[in-house]
Amino acid sequence: MKDLLEIENAHVYIGSFYVLQGISLVVPKGEVTLLLGRNGAGKTTTMKSVLGIYPPKRGKIFFKGEEISSLPTHKIVNKGIGYVPDTRRIFGTLTVEQNLIVSLRKGSSRNDMQERLEIIFDLFPDMKGFMKQRAGTLSGGQQQMLAVARALMNENDLLLIDEPTEGLSPLLAKKLIDSLDRLKEFATILLVEQNFRTVSRLGDNYYIFDNGKIVHEGNNMAELIEDKALVAQYLGVSI
Amino acid sequence: MTLQKGRFSFGDYLEQNPQVRRLLRIVAVIVLVILGGLLVVWAVNLYTWDGFVARASKSVINGLALSMLLFLMVSGFFLIFGLCDVINFAHGAFFMLGGFLGFVIYLGTEAVFLDPALPFSIVFGANHFAMSVTAFVVSALGATVVMALVGGGIEFFTVRRLYGNPIAQILLTVGFMFILTQIAEIVFGPPQFSYFLIPNSQINYFFIMGIFDFGGGLQFAVYRIFLIFLGFAVAGLMFIGFRRTRIGLQIQAGIEDSEMVEALGTDIRGLFTIVFMLGAGLAGLSGAVLVPWIGANSGHGLTYLIYAFVIVVVGGAHYGRFEGTFFGALIVGLSIQFAAYFVPFLENIIVFIIMVIILIIRPGGLTGHE
Repeated sequence: MKDLLEIENAHVYIGSFYVLQGISLVVPKGEVTLLLGRNGAGKTTTMKSVLGIYPPKRGKIFFKGEEISSLPTHKIVNKGIGYVPDTRRIFGTLTVEQNLIVSLRKGSSRNDMQERLEIIFDLFPDMKGFMKQRAGTLSGGQQQMLAVARALMNENDLLLIDEPTEGLSPLLAKKLIDSLDRLKEFATILLVEQNFRTVSRLGDNYYIFDNGKIVHEGNNMAELIEDKALVAQYLGVSI
Repeated sequence: MTLQKGRFSFGDYLEQNPQVRRLLRIVAVIVLVILGGLLVVWAVNLYTWDGFVARASKSVINGLALSMLLFLMVSGFFLIFGLCDVINFAHGAFFMLGGFLGFVIYLGTEAVFLDPALPFSIVFGANHFAMSVTAFVVSALGATVVMALVGGGIEFFTVRRLYGNPIAQILLTVGFMFILTQIAEIVFGPPQFSYFLIPNSQINYFFIMGIFDFGGGLQFAVYRIFLIFLGFAVAGLMFIGFRRTRIGLQIQAGIEDSEMVEALGTDIRGLFTIVFMLGAGLAGLSGAVLVPWIGANSGHGLTYLIYAFVIVVVGGAHYGRFEGTFFGALIVGLSIQFAAYFVPFLENIIVFIIMVIILIIRPGGLTGHE
């Protein structure tokens, strides 16, 4: 089976708003798939409908060949999906360590936690220094590391990462992208990013969203960057 | 300062004029200090020194006991509110029902223990003290378990359908408050009747009616000191549970952002049911241990619901700070008892006076934000 995640003609409503108007996409195993597009184009909603937070009214979503479109969120996630939300949404009143414990799934032992921590520290060596700190007092970059680390606390096949570089300085953003690059060896990644140039070297495939529809797709990032007309029309002027 | 569309509140005014707020705050502190000073002077003139010490120490002990009781009840209210976002108006009724359950279970257990046909009479023999203490423990645990099941049932069958619909939740829980109160009135009579444990055993002499006598008017009811310890013990257990266990951490994290906890793989609906059971169980426990002191009364549902609101607001627990319930309960419990001993005519309203003052000085409560 080549495609880890498959969305088939999904129509998603948030309240009475018709947000996703027939989205179809595939996320091949072991690759990084980018969702690009302007603010409000439907990228984050696509992720949330995969997670079951906004389940599709019509259409189907398959994960590892199994239909998940009508399952509750926790059951979907427990099939092996890690989620890094767009505004980080770390638990500010808990310590970093407690944030990670909350993310452990049922049935994980202390040993599992130790193993996962080794992977995390290998990826973000800085995190060792603030494990006992209250998460609410961390800097933006540290919070983003924690948000990614939370998704790594379990063995996931797919990571949904939403706007990881939002609000980070260019230097921090570059550091984070380097870490995400190394994440590729652990899991398949579906990445939402507005500022597509910063993540262009990560991507294997991309989909461009506009007004709740996919308007363009491809698998050659270099070509996309060169395509000035397309970039100007759908991705805005990103500096 | 501009008037906007005819809507203008005192809060907005203070927002725009921080110097006025600062002034008000200073004035409030000064008034508070003067009032406190006057009370002390008045009390010292009114009572002899020994009498003053006796009253003050009794207020402290009784106040702490009442605080701990209120804390047990309100922590349940807070958990349900914090995690599930449900303002449980039926919480006072849970508390009241816990009292009647404790009362009924105690009498039932005692009758079973005293029945010569059953083996319990051999176990306890003539040791009525051990028997009555055991019966009391059974009644407290029984009320906790039954109320936990009632709370869990109410969540599972009714509240569960109404998450995200606050108006319907309020109507539902208010409805349960009236239903439970009315059932209690039908069975046990109107609020004019209070039910106490007056057992035909030695619990009468030591555990409930017993007194520690330190001489010189320093006499403290054993039971109230027991309540203080019980409150601290349960608070300590909960504190450890929230820090050390995964489920405790998940509840804390869920109070901040329940959708995110679910997106990390936790069955949040299951957690909601557990928290409802925990909250209702705590209400049942506190109601049951209230019986030997203040009694079980069908009017408690509303009285203690209002105390719960005051404690949450005073403590600032509505900002998600668990400690807030603890400090809020301390303030309410101590002030009620101090008023009862020194200025009896204020006993019923002192908590509201304090609430108003605290809200002026710190609008977010003691532990909340400004």
